[in-house]
Amino acid sequence: MSQPLSGAGARLTPWLLPLAVVALWQVAGSAGLIPGTVMPTPAEVAEAGWRLGRTGELWTNLGVSFLRALGGLLVGGGIGFALGLANGLSRTSDVLTNTTVQMIRNVPHLSLIPLVILWFGIGEEAKLFLVALGVFFPIYANTHHGIRSVDPHLVEMGSVYGMSRTTLFLRVVLPGALPAIFVGLRYALGIMWLTLIVAETISASSGLGYMAMQAREFMLVDVVVLAIAIYALLGKVADALTRGLERRCLAWNPAYAG
Amino acid sequence: MIATALRRFDDLAHAPSAGTEDRTPARPLHRAPAPGTGTAGLSVALRGLGKAFGGRPVIDGIDLRIRAGEFVAVVGRSGCGKSTLLRLILGLEAPGRGEVAVDGAGPRRIMFQEPRLLPWASVLDNVAVGLGRGVTKAERRQRAGAALAAVGLADKAGAWPATLSGGQRQRVALARALVSGPGLLALDEPLGALDALTRIEMQDMIEGLWVEQGFTALLVTHDVAEAVALADRILVIEDGRVALDLAVPVARPRRRGDAGLAALEGRILDHLLGRPSHA
Repeated sequence: MSQPLSGAGARLTPWLLPLAVVALWQVAGSAGLIPGTVMPTPAEVAEAGWRLGRTGELWTNLGVSFLRALGGLLVGGGIGFALGLANGLSRTSDVLTNTTVQMIRNVPHLSLIPLVILWFGIGEEAKLFLVALGVFFPIYANTHHGIRSVDPHLVEMGSVYGMSRTTLFLRVVLPGALPAIFVGLRYALGIMWLTLIVAETISASSGLGYMAMQAREFMLVDVVVLAIAIYALLGKVADALTRGLERRCLAWNPAYAG
Repeated sequence: MIATALRRFDDLAHAPSAGTEDRTPARPLHRAPAPGTGTAGLSVALRGLGKAFGGRPVIDGIDLRIRAGEFVAVVGRSGCGKSTLLRLILGLEAPGRGEVAVDGAGPRRIMFQEPRLLPWASVLDNVAVGLGRGVTKAERRQRAGAALAAVGLADKAGAWPATLSGGQRQRVALARALVSGPGLLALDEPLGALDALTRIEMQDMIEGLWVEQGFTALLVTHDVAEAVALADRILVIEDGRVALDLAVPVARPRRRGDAGLAALEGRILDHLLGRPSHA
């Protein structure tokens, strides 16, 4: 309908709204419209970031959270991907495990926090377990669905043209399932942050969530808001990385090109 | 009427080669000895072939001989068993009874009704799928490129299938079917979804490549005009049996609208529609 913007304009446009919100927030805070105890100004938040960055506290906590997120994603996503493949490819495996998986899926994984604390205390295992459990389901379900919805005509073509089972999987089934697997990955990334934040807020002695909770104890509103802003940025970074991967891997698909 | 036609056909099929000669007039096949690429086609013999799905016979006792290098069209109404016959000959289905004997060298290839290209592979890589296993990378590129050039799409080698038109996609599928130098090419209504002009271009291309390469061609279609334009011989399938087995004694290259072709087309349509034949 309207002409798409080109070049730098197109890249900057999505940032106009967040920047405007920050500017408005700064003006309102400086003018005294928002009390500092309710919401610090962006400048104050940035200053808190600078302060914590200089002491190294921010980087330590950020690194700890990042490693937890990545570890949970790799473990849970890896298991989900493997089981999704197995159940998508094999009826036997599907019949054996799918019902169980669907039953567990309907338990909100965050409701397991008390149990997880009893099992693991507040150590790293607790966070890893919860994140892995959270990301497992979207990756499992979408991989499973992706494999099942590969065009049977293409699979028939492959076998008629003499592809071995391995070639058929690598050249026909997996690429066909990839768009669905990416959808699963995007969902999983959202759930990954959510789970980690909740877990760190409730039971941790380090990490971004812990940093925010500690700040609350000492009424450091600027640090609390800083932590929230970092979550927003991390979410954006994860999303951008997935988009980049999609564009590389799904270049053949007109829906993802450009 | 069908029964007598069948009996007549059965007699012919069981008779030694004299019968075959009878049906195939001694006209020179316009098949130049292909330079380099040419492979002798496969010959096919079906003996008492039968296949049933869910107790219903789809192919019901077919005896048939197809000579190496022959272009045979199989026509019939929807559900008459013509596609199943093709799949049996290709070995995609196991016969319920009887046997399929295929003799000669070269792979058997099929072109489907849909192009069935891998959307995530480039046009060149899609064509290379037809080479099967055990071919070096350099040779794959070289042979796939040559096959693409033969269907006039050399400039599309690096393109994604999604960017091609329907006719171009079907040409890529043709290149994929032919890149390995097949002995038998089965065509399962491959042009049904194309517009009329593109279809005629594709028919000419298929005929040209058949003349050049000498494979045995087996075309399943419900377009009688297409069958008449392309084939040496037309089989009309009815209720899982061969109801008519007609030679097409018209020299190539054939012109669309030729009186001999039109008469033959009329005769086959009359048969299919159950009208009394004027012939």
